[in-house]
Amino acid sequence: MALTDTSPLIAPDADAGEAAVPAIDVRALSHRYASTAGEVVALEGADLRVEAGEFVSIVGPSGCGKTTLLRAVAGLLAATGGEVRVLGGAPEQAQREHAIGLVTQDPGLLPWRSVEANVRLPLEVTGATADVPALLERVGIARFARYRPGQLSGGMRQRVALARALAHRPRLLLMDEPFGALDELSREDLRLELLALWERERIAVLFVTHAIHEAVLLSDRVVVMSGSPGRIVADIAIDLPRPRTDALTSTPRFVALAAEVRGALRSGAGSAGARS
Amino acid sequence: MTREVSDLPDLHPGVSRDAATPRDSLIVSLLPVLVFAAILGGWEAWVRLAQVKRYLLPPPSAVVIALVEEPMRYIDAAVTSLSAAIGGLLFATVGAFALGVVMAHSRALERALYPPALLLKVMPIVAVYPLFLIWFGFGIWPRVLIAALITFFPVLVNTVIGLRSIDPAAHDFLRALHASRSQIFWRLRLPSSLPYLFAALRICVPLSLVGAVVAEFLSGASGMGQLILVANGDFDTPALFGAVIVLAGLGVSLTVGVSYVERRVLDWHDSYRGT
Repeated sequence: MALTDTSPLIAPDADAGEAAVPAIDVRALSHRYASTAGEVVALEGADLRVEAGEFVSIVGPSGCGKTTLLRAVAGLLAATGGEVRVLGGAPEQAQREHAIGLVTQDPGLLPWRSVEANVRLPLEVTGATADVPALLERVGIARFARYRPGQLSGGMRQRVALARALAHRPRLLLMDEPFGALDELSREDLRLELLALWERERIAVLFVTHAIHEAVLLSDRVVVMSGSPGRIVADIAIDLPRPRTDALTSTPRFVALAAEVRGALRSGAGSAGARS
Repeated sequence: MTREVSDLPDLHPGVSRDAATPRDSLIVSLLPVLVFAAILGGWEAWVRLAQVKRYLLPPPSAVVIALVEEPMRYIDAAVTSLSAAIGGLLFATVGAFALGVVMAHSRALERALYPPALLLKVMPIVAVYPLFLIWFGFGIWPRVLIAALITFFPVLVNTVIGLRSIDPAAHDFLRALHASRSQIFWRLRLPSSLPYLFAALRICVPLSLVGAVVAEFLSGASGMGQLILVANGDFDTPALFGAVIVLAGLGVSLTVGVSYVERRVLDWHDSYRGT
């Protein structure tokens, strides 16, 4: 890892006018679908705004609609109600502009390709160019460039997925529980590397997670969701100084913010329990 | 089957790929040979001691003599049968794969095309062979067609399943990049379908030989089927056994050939599943 290298790999938007356009602007987003158990309300009246260069996490219990929200932003799911604007346009427009990078819990790497060829995939699709060796170096997988994903640990695979999501220089990075399947030590490492990477790149990130600690450490804001029906119950600004390190997690302010997020999660779960 | 060892450094030192010691594995690999030798030896001894009639059950030695006395008789027939089988398999693979791509493309097309494809499968091919003879004469083509018909359906079904069996996370990533259908096809669907295609080919290799030989039985023109018919008429039982051995050898060789190509092309497959 070339942590000492501070030059941004992805050039931040120089255009000041464009910086005013929010990366994500979701209004009154609802999503319902029919299942064998009747109609499911996956999401109801969700409003979410993520500014350009902002890191926002969504925390919430399983089935609270946070993945639905992220998929609607990615243009992978057409929500049944409300409006999604990504970088000022429809999600499909952002897809066409190759403005979105996606990292999911299952990395979805192509097993027949080497690590390097996996990272080149978005370049082949979009026609963009990138210094792939430098990118591999940046996420700590340069020495595995010729390996196949099947030869790597889960943590290394997620690094490949992260490099692949950044290769075409997206303006919005969508991460759906990217570290969810990893062991605790790998999670910690990847968290800190993502933090270092993001503090250099400053692209907008929407980060879905179960982990309160992780959300508070990484984010500018933590959005708390609650299930059945899925909705947003709190939006908590994380006013911790940057650059952040793991040492921050023992400070009183960090502990207080984590407690606030936990409280919002608990009260959200409580009201959901009262409904049913 | 031994796996290729990567030239890259081992990521999991201490974890042996094969738990058996070299001595154990030598014995294990020799066992089938020993069993085979024991069966042949027992057969030879029993036929000689019990004086079983040659036209009922010839000793293995007589079968070997029949094979080496007239090698060209078997080689010519084998080449003829093999041409029909491989020709049919190639036509079926290309055709079924192309149709599979079309059917995997849309559910509507799959629904429209599946019944006629199924009809091909359930139709007793022996019954239509006289038609092929009328249409295409006694040359190699009706036999190629039989071998193709018998192998078409497994390739088709596996192609459709394979093209659909893509990793949803990889698909999502490509969709979020606005990848075109053809980009998704070449980069994701086609490689994902290859393990299924090879599974179909391993099933179809012996089927194609069966198709070719059955067609030769029916037309009686040439090939292993004709050799068997003639030997049968002559009560030449050693030649019948020789034909069985030659056909088994062809089947084994073709299967080994397909497996060899499969291991080369799909070297990523097992190693990925194994983790």
